[in-house]
Amino acid sequence: MTDVVELSLPVEADLLVLARLTAATVASRASFDVEEIEDLRLAVDELCIALIQGQGDGRLELRFSRDEDQIEVLGTLRPGPGVPGGGIAGQSDDGLSQRILDALVDEHGHESTDGRSQAWLRKRRARQQA
Amino acid sequence: MEDTFESSVEQGDGYTVVSVAGEVDVATAPALRERLDETIGQATSVVVVDLRGVTFIDSTALGVLIGALNRFAAEGGAMRLVITEPRIIKIFEITGLTELFDIRSSRQEAIAG
Repeated sequence: MTDVVELSLPVEADLLVLARLTAATVASRASFDVEEIEDLRLAVDELCIALIQGQGDGRLELRFSRDEDQIEVLGTLRPGPGVPGGGIAGQSDDGLSQRILDALVDEHGHESTDGRSQAWLRKRRARQQA
Repeated sequence: MEDTFESSVEQGDGYTVVSVAGEVDVATAPALRERLDETIGQATSVVVVDLRGVTFIDSTALGVLIGALNRFAAEGGAMRLVITEPRIIKIFEITGLTELFDIRSSRQEAIAG
């Protein structure tokens, strides 16, 4: 069974808590354990940071899809008409963010094409003990 | 709400303790930076950042801590962290920051050095 949850947010740092809350809820519904849920919360946060840094406005769209024991999150940044480079403060260290994602999810990636930036991750639930 | 970011400062004899609680993320990391900058600007030989009340931390917050560590080291001071929550320790471990920071399990231990 596949569940799909979509979230659309303005690019505002203090709203990322909603992305984390959605990640936790989707993971909980997929029977991820407490640690896996926390891993996904942080991973989704890092995914959002990678997309919104330096953005002054626009919208961040997140698509959470659950299929069996795997959750995939696709983030898309749709920039607004504002001047890039301003906006979100708090410079994240890309190296730290990459290490966090490498450790917490099974696969992740980031690409920018035609002015649109996307990032994605996949996390599989550990097998249930018999 | 226990996840609301808060910080407070306690001055002691030759040390300062900055206690942090709640979620430290891209939204609240600037406030943490500001608090640490104020502390580093004062003449103290030891700064202890007590993270026992932190419920969430991301790369932005880690970057603030690294920046503070570097600035304080440039002033000849020592900065130590207090962390007991296994989840938070895990984030420092996977990023290799347990090699960079002096992390203690109690405030007293961090102050004493």
